[in-house]
Amino acid sequence: MRVAMKERIEQATSRRGFLRRSADLTLATLAGGIPRQLWSADPARPAATADAVILLWMAGGMAQTDTFDPKRYTAYQTGLKTSSVLSTFPMIDTAVDQVKLSQGLERVAGVMDKGMALRSVVPPDLGRLLHSRHQFHWHTGYEPPQSVAVPHIGAIIARTLGSRNPSVPAFVDIGQPIEGNPDSETLKTFHSAGFLGAEWGPFMISDPLAAAESMRPGASMGAARFKRRYESYRSMLKHNPVLQAGSDYHQQSLLRSVESAHRLLESPAAKAFDLSLEPRSVRDVYDTGRFGMGCLLARRLVEAGVRFVEVTTEYMPFQRWDTHVNGHARMVEMKKEIDAPIAQLIRDLDSRGLLKRTLVIVGSEFGRDMMTEGKPERFIANDNSSIQPEIMTEPAHYGMHRHFTGSQTVMMYGGGMKAGLAYGRTADERPLSVVEKPVNLVDLQATILHACGIPASLSYEVDKRPVYVTKDGKAKPVLDLFA
Amino acid sequence: MLTRSGLLKGGVNGPAVKPGSGSESLLVRRISVQAPRMPLGAAPLTDTEVATLRDWIDAGAVWETAGPPPVLDTRIKLRRPAVPEGTHANPVDAFVERYWRKHRIPAPPAVTDAVFARRVSFDVTGLPLDPDELDRFLADKNPEKRRNLIEVLLGRRQAYAEHWMSFWNDLLRNEDGVAFPGEKRTWITGWLIEALKSNMAYDGMVQSLLDPKGENAPVGFLAGVNWGGDVSSSQTPPLQAAQNSAQVFLGANLKCASCHDSFVSRWKLSETFGLAAFFSADPVEVVRCEVKTGVKAAPVFPFPELHEAPASTLPERRAQVARMFTSRENGRFPRTIVNRYWRLLFGRGIVEPADDLEAPAWDAGLLDWLASDFVEHGYDLQHLLRRILTSRTYQREAVRQAAAASADSEYVFRGPAYRRLTAEQFTDALSAITGEWKMFDDRTGKPAPYSRSWRFRSDALTRALGRPDRSQVVTGRGTSATMLQALELVNGGELRSHLRRGAKRLAGTYRPPSRNAADSGQIREMAGIEADITGAEKVWLVVSDFGSYDPPRVRAGWMDAEFAGPHGPAKLQDLPLPAGAAVEPIRVKDRPSRDALVAPLPAQLVYHVGGKGYTTFRASVGLDESGLRPEITAKVRFFVFTQEPDLDNLVRGTGEPPAARPSPGTSHALTKRLFRHAVARTPDPAELAEAGKLLRDGASGIEDLLWILALSPEFQFLR
Repeated sequence: MRVAMKERIEQATSRRGFLRRSADLTLATLAGGIPRQLWSADPARPAATADAVILLWMAGGMAQTDTFDPKRYTAYQTGLKTSSVLSTFPMIDTAVDQVKLSQGLERVAGVMDKGMALRSVVPPDLGRLLHSRHQFHWHTGYEPPQSVAVPHIGAIIARTLGSRNPSVPAFVDIGQPIEGNPDSETLKTFHSAGFLGAEWGPFMISDPLAAAESMRPGASMGAARFKRRYESYRSMLKHNPVLQAGSDYHQQSLLRSVESAHRLLESPAAKAFDLSLEPRSVRDVYDTGRFGMGCLLARRLVEAGVRFVEVTTEYMPFQRWDTHVNGHARMVEMKKEIDAPIAQLIRDLDSRGLLKRTLVIVGSEFGRDMMTEGKPERFIANDNSSIQPEIMTEPAHYGMHRHFTGSQTVMMYGGGMKAGLAYGRTADERPLSVVEKPVNLVDLQATILHACGIPASLSYEVDKRPVYVTKDGKAKPVLDLFA
Repeated sequence: MLTRSGLLKGGVNGPAVKPGSGSESLLVRRISVQAPRMPLGAAPLTDTEVATLRDWIDAGAVWETAGPPPVLDTRIKLRRPAVPEGTHANPVDAFVERYWRKHRIPAPPAVTDAVFARRVSFDVTGLPLDPDELDRFLADKNPEKRRNLIEVLLGRRQAYAEHWMSFWNDLLRNEDGVAFPGEKRTWITGWLIEALKSNMAYDGMVQSLLDPKGENAPVGFLAGVNWGGDVSSSQTPPLQAAQNSAQVFLGANLKCASCHDSFVSRWKLSETFGLAAFFSADPVEVVRCEVKTGVKAAPVFPFPELHEAPASTLPERRAQVARMFTSRENGRFPRTIVNRYWRLLFGRGIVEPADDLEAPAWDAGLLDWLASDFVEHGYDLQHLLRRILTSRTYQREAVRQAAAASADSEYVFRGPAYRRLTAEQFTDALSAITGEWKMFDDRTGKPAPYSRSWRFRSDALTRALGRPDRSQVVTGRGTSATMLQALELVNGGELRSHLRRGAKRLAGTYRPPSRNAADSGQIREMAGIEADITGAEKVWLVVSDFGSYDPPRVRAGWMDAEFAGPHGPAKLQDLPLPAGAAVEPIRVKDRPSRDALVAPLPAQLVYHVGGKGYTTFRASVGLDESGLRPEITAKVRFFVFTQEPDLDNLVRGTGEPPAARPSPGTSHALTKRLFRHAVARTPDPAELAEAGKLLRDGASGIEDLLWILALSPEFQFLR
């Protein structure tokens, strides 16, 4: 694929006072050709309300009625009719009157005044319920396959806004190992900057506790040897008779990239990756496992100037939020894992004055239900991945075991959004569909971009044709969500 | 002359065609008897061709008006331009040097033998030239030695094919073993590697890809990516087939004309669907921007000169399409591939973008000549390579650029560009230099051959170096140096462990892991296993997880296990249980439960058998049926060892590595060889001294020296 390269970008974009280009985005990127940014006839760039975005990704399809959109609770008992159960946990009060969450999210409930429960997100109908396709769609705005490699929304934001701090990566993805995952190939397709070019792809940190290792020489190398190796490298380059005779700018950009990596590793910014620098008391609050520590790392990275951070609970088929059996018990564990760190992240950002300009989103590819697989109006009886009897005979039957695309709740905090409310509404009886103010996913993406000051109609030129940052450039941000 | 009405109307000499009167029609007279004979300045048409035209006019000159629109691309036909005059062994040089004279561009100097050898070796085989071979080449006094080296390299068909696999896998979107959820993928890997090794003619290759017939036919290309669920109307299998075949083989980008008429090229929505209809058993409805039009697309080839009235069945239509793509009348077909090869070998195409052959060529004559030469030599890809590699033009110094060219300035060809090694060339070169190759384990239990990078799924390093996933056609990779990539090179685990193992090999401290005595391969439900344990002091029974969704819940064990020997067998269940083991019933699918020796994974049970005279261990190994549940998807494998196993290296390696392993060395001799191997020169005294300091630290010093070489622009670029 060829992506057009135009020198005019610099001029055009700076004229609009828009793109703050980092020092590292120079020849290094031009060497491979970067896509030219295109503007529709009426670019009407929105005023940004957020400088950074943290996406907390509940991978696997989080059951909304057992988390952020609780419904009537029915306790388990043998012989319970599946169709009678809407939630397997009682509702709890939150810091905001009228807004209820599910038991197990008490800490998140405590910061409800700082955010919004967007209850009326409608996941798309992609025909078949595959986590991979819905995840791809959620992250890129396009359904696969596509004839060009479309970028992750984090890459769009990173590329369009540039880095806030040129010495750290603009886009960091925490908690999703690719290698070794049974779905590694589908994960690869959207953990990518696609046509925007590798510069803007995610810097992947699979384990936040090991993040510091990604920013300093490992134990087997050691700092002294690492330093000497680089000195030796530079000395050898100085004596290299071929390079002394002159070098090509491609070669120069390689040298610069190696230099910037070393600079980052030795810079104060690298310390942002080191969780051991946090006080023990803070680490203890966050430390519910990998996801919790990922939230702490996200906070540190945003403080250091990273533009977009995704922290995931990790997608692993049939594990984590992908509850096909024993859902209730699994939800207890999962909520324990997310409750404290999400709440603490919001509190920390708020107390540091960062929440105002940092948009935090809690999302998942679709919801779950006991009865409905797919969309209520296009009921897919059973995809064989769940066997849910009509009458429950054991606790393992108690839980939201089917993929539900009638609704999903997305939590939004800060970044210019309204706070202290639930937006939209879903029915209180099956099929639990959205009954007020539906927001489709593409418009949600437009909303996130809008908060970052990026119009939904922005496009990049790929193979001489425009590819829009939201589907066909026609998505509409939900302005009603902004404060 | 492009329309029927045009022919009937004619020009100053009256109508060109009088329907029903072939012999009297001006068209026929001018190509047969009447001067000046047409076509001007070219060979006359054969009697048969003239007769065909005459018969057609006699029959009324029927021209399907409902068919394709008038010809737009007048360059569909292949021309064979005259080679510019001068004394040139290779016509490529005649074209290029005429071009340079015209543009007043000085020809870059010829490269040295060493630079040439490195460049051509990477271009043909993807590997650096072995240092001993390099020395022999440099010492060779034969004036034909460059040509000879090219022949030697082209003759290394295995290495050649394995290098070119990456290019073709990108182009044909083939990634062995990768299927998206919901699709039954077939891969063309086996066919492709054989096609390259046997140097199958390119037109034959494409015929097979577009009209796959028979066993092992490459059906995967047309099938496309079929991720389960609804897809956009521009991504249905026939649309994918149309887009990909037009892009890859004809340099026509129909992607933009898959939702609406293209705004940026001549292609129309109807043409995309017209081509797609050739690849579909059922009529294809034209969909404009996701709105059905109700119009069924008739199969129409986008190049009307080549269009054949569509046959009624899909197999026939596929055969037609294969003919139209590969027809000798189709000049665009060879021009597209010739241009891609030029682009690979010089860093930029004669036409750019290479997926849009309507863009201007910097020398159309050169492109046409190369294309027609390629066709005359039977679409021989090795001939095409040879033609270019033997040219003086290829053998000139790479032209340094101070900065990226401005897109607005017209491109001028000044000579070869600096080209970065691909991810595969980079990793394979480091393997060749160190002797450290990965083993490709197909999980069947057969020993795993040492293999080149293309065989493996992409990893963090190869992705950082530009290896794409194959969910789209990729006709050019990103080669830019980015900070993320540099972080991977500077501090990433993949490169570090590669160089660490390689350094141990070069230091002579590499200890091969002990070899297993038996390997069950990944078991589905149950298997038998038997190992020769003659003379063993201890036996290790190992069960290892190979990617289960939920390893802690996998239950797998050894059943009816026994040691056998001349003194009779011993049942393992009668022997004391090793640490960590238990005897529990497991139930293999559809069979009654049986007692099995189990332990949590990774399980390692050790038995002392010294002095008992046992010669054989045998058992049935099985998986409890709970492991077949989708949430567990157990993937386990059983091994027997008679020496302490290395749990990270349970699988046996086999065969020869893809390049001869260097022998271990020390200090200056090692440094010199590493330089010759990596950058085809001897180190200069200052470099030698610096390397000497590093090498005082043994293997870790060698590792650091390897890293320094690997990150040197001199290594990462072909100059």
